[in-house]
Amino acid sequence: MSEPILSVTNVRVAFGGVQALAGVSLEIREGEILSLIGPNGAGKTTLFNVISGVLRPQHGDVRFLGRSIIGRPPHEIARLGIGRTYQIVRPFGSLSVVDNVAVGGLIHARSIAAARAAAREIVEFVGLGPFADRIAATLTLTQRKRLEVARALALRPRLLLLDEVMAGLTPSEMDTMADFVVRLGERGIGTVCGIEHVMRLVMRISHRIVVLDAGRCIAEGDPKAIQSDPRVIEAYLGAPLIETI
Amino acid sequence: MRRILIIAIPIVALLAVAPNRLNGYYLNLLYITVLYVGLAYGWNIISGYAGYFSFGQIAFFGIGAYATGLIVVNLQWHWILAALAGGLIACALSVPMGYVMLRLRGPFFAMGMFGLAQTSRVVITAIPATGGGSGLFLPPGSDLRSIYYWTLAVTLGAIALTMWIDRSAFGLRLQALREDEQVAGTLGIDVTLEKIYAFALSALIPGLLGGGYIWFLTYIEPDAAFSPRLDLQSVVMAILGGVGTVWGPLVGGVLMTQIAEALWARFPQIYLMIFGGLLVALLIVLPRGIVPALTSRIRRSV
Amino acid sequence: MVIAQLVVNGVLLGGVLALSALGFNIIFGVMRVVNLAHGDFVVLSAVFCAVVFAQTNLNPLILLPLTGGAGFVLGALVHRYLLHRLPGEIASAEASSLTLTFGLSFLLAGAGLALFGGNYRSVPFLTGAYQLDGLSFPQARLLAFVAALALAVVLGLFLRFTAIGRAIRATSQNVEGALACGIDTDRVRTISFALGTAVATASGTLMSFIYNLNPQMGVLFTINAFAIVVIGGLGSYTGAVVGAIILGLAQSFSSYFAGATLSEAAPYILFILISLLLPSGLLGRRTA
Repeated sequence: MSEPILSVTNVRVAFGGVQALAGVSLEIREGEILSLIGPNGAGKTTLFNVISGVLRPQHGDVRFLGRSIIGRPPHEIARLGIGRTYQIVRPFGSLSVVDNVAVGGLIHARSIAAARAAAREIVEFVGLGPFADRIAATLTLTQRKRLEVARALALRPRLLLLDEVMAGLTPSEMDTMADFVVRLGERGIGTVCGIEHVMRLVMRISHRIVVLDAGRCIAEGDPKAIQSDPRVIEAYLGAPLIETI
Repeated sequence: MRRILIIAIPIVALLAVAPNRLNGYYLNLLYITVLYVGLAYGWNIISGYAGYFSFGQIAFFGIGAYATGLIVVNLQWHWILAALAGGLIACALSVPMGYVMLRLRGPFFAMGMFGLAQTSRVVITAIPATGGGSGLFLPPGSDLRSIYYWTLAVTLGAIALTMWIDRSAFGLRLQALREDEQVAGTLGIDVTLEKIYAFALSALIPGLLGGGYIWFLTYIEPDAAFSPRLDLQSVVMAILGGVGTVWGPLVGGVLMTQIAEALWARFPQIYLMIFGGLLVALLIVLPRGIVPALTSRIRRSV
Repeated sequence: MVIAQLVVNGVLLGGVLALSALGFNIIFGVMRVVNLAHGDFVVLSAVFCAVVFAQTNLNPLILLPLTGGAGFVLGALVHRYLLHRLPGEIASAEASSLTLTFGLSFLLAGAGLALFGGNYRSVPFLTGAYQLDGLSFPQARLLAFVAALALAVVLGLFLRFTAIGRAIRATSQNVEGALACGIDTDRVRTISFALGTAVATASGTLMSFIYNLNPQMGVLFTINAFAIVVIGGLGSYTGAVVGAIILGLAQSFSSYFAGATLSEAAPYILFILISLLLPSGLLGRRTA
């Protein structure tokens, strides 16, 4: 784990009267699994929206691989190498699983056939092989979650943003997903930033954790340090953080 | 692909030879059918594939017709060149229009496009050079046969284009943005550009068809060029056949034209009413259209 | 002085447009459905009143309960048996209901043409005008304005103080919450749609003494109502009134300055401009 591939500097976002992000700064280093945690409403998804270009902050900068990406449209940011998933899964319902994944692959492939071939491989990798030609709307939630990740993988991103990829899964499915996230390094996607609430998994797989509360960064460090940080405990009012590994 | 060609080539050959065998009335009907099918295909690209339902693509039909007319009257070009130019002008104008209009979504876009069509009609009527409300008359320069071939060529081109879109990367990008525009953006699709491409194609086709239509009528006037009836028909035909499919507009267009012409001949007063009612009934009974209903039945029985 | 007169005309016009927009708003607010046939309800009612007047000299205001009631029943039927029955989606749920009301619009316009013919009609009673300070207040417009205001107030009271009214407002704000409170949201939707069309037909009766209308002009009123609701903020009732006055003024001024032909396009251009400028018409704005 070395240089930062993404650095967020003093980003401020307000919606009407609500300050969603009140000056957030953090960095994501190459090859690490960084977890972004914090109570609901802390601004985590908003930060993802800023990084992926969907939302433009009023203030602050985001630099990816040395270049500022503020103000760039989402498709450019995707091409630069940032892929993301959504908290509430949004598959392309009337398209097949393969086609869903092939979309992201179009930025690399020379033809749609090549994109589909690459997509099939990714579909196998995430374990949706048997459903490759099914229409996405017929998938179960667990399958859709995997599809969500597969779509982002097709971009061959240098940084993958996973928004609550565990939500709605059973405990054993969660463990599988967690192992999967760790294995992403095998595919050359070593840098992952995940928003998560399931603490035992966060503690298990993260290299570093950043804690957000009310639009501010209140703590940052490795799992052990975060667990015992009184500010973090206070922010969560002592709930899930009591569970340790 | 081969299967399609095996069926298509004889049909196209038949269509090509038809003018020699058909008398005026039937040739007329054939021309109208081909025209309507073409318009339905034009509508299908922006509304079916890109998911931006437009209730005003007729704007480009009218612009194409008038552009052609003005070129012929003022520059005396050959009718083919004039019609081609008319279509290209409609397409060119659609780019800035699309850049603005495609910022709107759903009902705003649909209604906005309707407004654009009406505005185009009003603007053209107000320009003295177009003859205003009395219309623009063309000098002789073409005949029904030639116009039929022109229209057939454009419609066949539209079908071929749709076949290509359906299986191309462009088509996949359009469908992705139709399903979820924001997600499509974060997957690397330049949604603005793709939408404009689709919109321009959906303007080129009616534009070229309009360039032929003015020759068919040998004159043009605002209500004929920007006819809400033609607009409604394209929508109904594409929906009947299957929105966003390759063969939907063909099936819907051919079927509907026969029904439409029969109705128009017999009940001109209540024609619009019937058509409106038909659209409503279709949406309830056969929302996806004929082609998807057939293909899923075939899939199930196999 | 001309300006002042244009303002008077605009405000009076706005009042009646507001009533029509309120009907549109109820439907949109509760169901997020854009009723593209809205204007046709308005115009059909107006033409009906004009025809009745031509035969019987009956004051259209007397017909109000009839047209309002008919609008209610028709709307209820349309919702229950058509909109509610929309099985699936053609491209999206929004596209389906949009296209359905688009077809309905032609259906109604065509029916109007078939029943009443294509002539322009109006109810030419009350052709005088009050003069005040050099400004002319046409009696017909004044009456329509007052009636519209009265109806709007009644509507407002209904929505605030009756059980059904509260149910409608609850459903438009939060469907799940309404369901949780035991509200039959399906029934509420049907009633809202019916109420929306009833208000449309009522406003049409009032329009009959201001405008010359033929059955094919419905779309103009749909666009107006749509534009008003967008200006005022989708779902907001007071916003609709403000928006209506603004639109009334805009139309009054544009028809004076731009001439008859071009001002035909004014409602459409205004609609497009307004949709572009106001956030509710735009796609995924990136700036927070």
